[in-house]
Amino acid sequence: MAVDLPLPRVGPAADLAPQPIKVVLNWGRRYSLWVFNFGLACCAIEFIAASMARHDFMRLGVIPFAPGPRQADLMVVSGTVTDKMAPAVRRLYDQMPEPKYVISFGACSNSGGPYWDSYSVTKGVDTVIPVDVYVPGCPPRPEALLQGILRLQEKIAAESLSTKGIRAKYAGHRLASAGELTRGLVRKPAKQDEAGGHG
Amino acid sequence: MADPDSVTRREVPLAEWAAAVTEARDAAYTFFDWLTAVDQTDAAEDAGFDIVCHLMDVSTPGALRRLVLRTRVPDGVAVPSITGVFKGAAWHERETHEMFGIAFDGFDDGTGLGLRPLLLPDGFEGTPLRKSFVLAARASKAWPGAKEPGESEHTRTTGGRRRVQAPGVPGPEWGPR
Repeated sequence: MAVDLPLPRVGPAADLAPQPIKVVLNWGRRYSLWVFNFGLACCAIEFIAASMARHDFMRLGVIPFAPGPRQADLMVVSGTVTDKMAPAVRRLYDQMPEPKYVISFGACSNSGGPYWDSYSVTKGVDTVIPVDVYVPGCPPRPEALLQGILRLQEKIAAESLSTKGIRAKYAGHRLASAGELTRGLVRKPAKQDEAGGHG
Repeated sequence: MADPDSVTRREVPLAEWAAAVTEARDAAYTFFDWLTAVDQTDAAEDAGFDIVCHLMDVSTPGALRRLVLRTRVPDGVAVPSITGVFKGAAWHERETHEMFGIAFDGFDDGTGLGLRPLLLPDGFEGTPLRKSFVLAARASKAWPGAKEPGESEHTRTTGGRRRVQAPGVPGPEWGPR
């Protein structure tokens, strides 16, 4: 069943809230970032390392392993984005609810990195989706991701979310509604006869 | 580097390609590993593409035997398909087809759709693993590194040696970048 996601808005109280209240609301949002890891290559390993006990980005309020993009606030694109994968990156980004943030993690997703001249690699994930924070490195250390998260949290703290602002920021480049991004159940393929062949 | 004893290499003429693969399968090389091509269009003699196929004999535990079959096909000539021998070769032949533009005669993967792109994104034009394929990013942008390969101050200049031009790098006729 297709459900159309309405355009993003904040409640009237938040829209008209005085600055101290907005600070509190931003404080709430910046320390509860459900993160969705778009792990495409070796940088994903560094992301996983950052989520584990030694670096533990949960202490910064970043909650890893969101069940899916529809429950996530932050997408970390870690790894080489190829032209074949780019539509899937865009699709999952469109499925995330606003307000949403993107961290581009590593040289490949920043700019294509060492594969900048490849026939199949996208020259940076920012050609597909808007990126908030770039983390350089090949691959970056987990500490670099922690720094990137702190930068993003500073950015969120400085935001002043209003319905008008949030629509200008996110709805402007919305490509599809949530209904269009839903796929029906996949049916069992019709049985084929087992003809010939070996191996 | 010399091959270990467990590896056999065999070159076969193009006409005997499918027969050689069938024969190898019947001679216990029943595990199809991979099939690909090598661009040899700049070879001095018999220019074309090498079709390479790697098969394994897994019948004796602990004594794996491997066989590398190779044939040379001129550009534009179709290779006999081995999907009738190993069904799993269909993906490899599709990949070789899209990457090198080599046709496979008698290709059949059970769908009836024929040779079609497997890995390349929709609408991709060209055969990217051919040496003649020019990288678009290279044509529009200069190499971002400080040095091209062979330009280091640590390499001794040996006079008339031609600078190595990597395949895919656009030549001077593409103009300055």
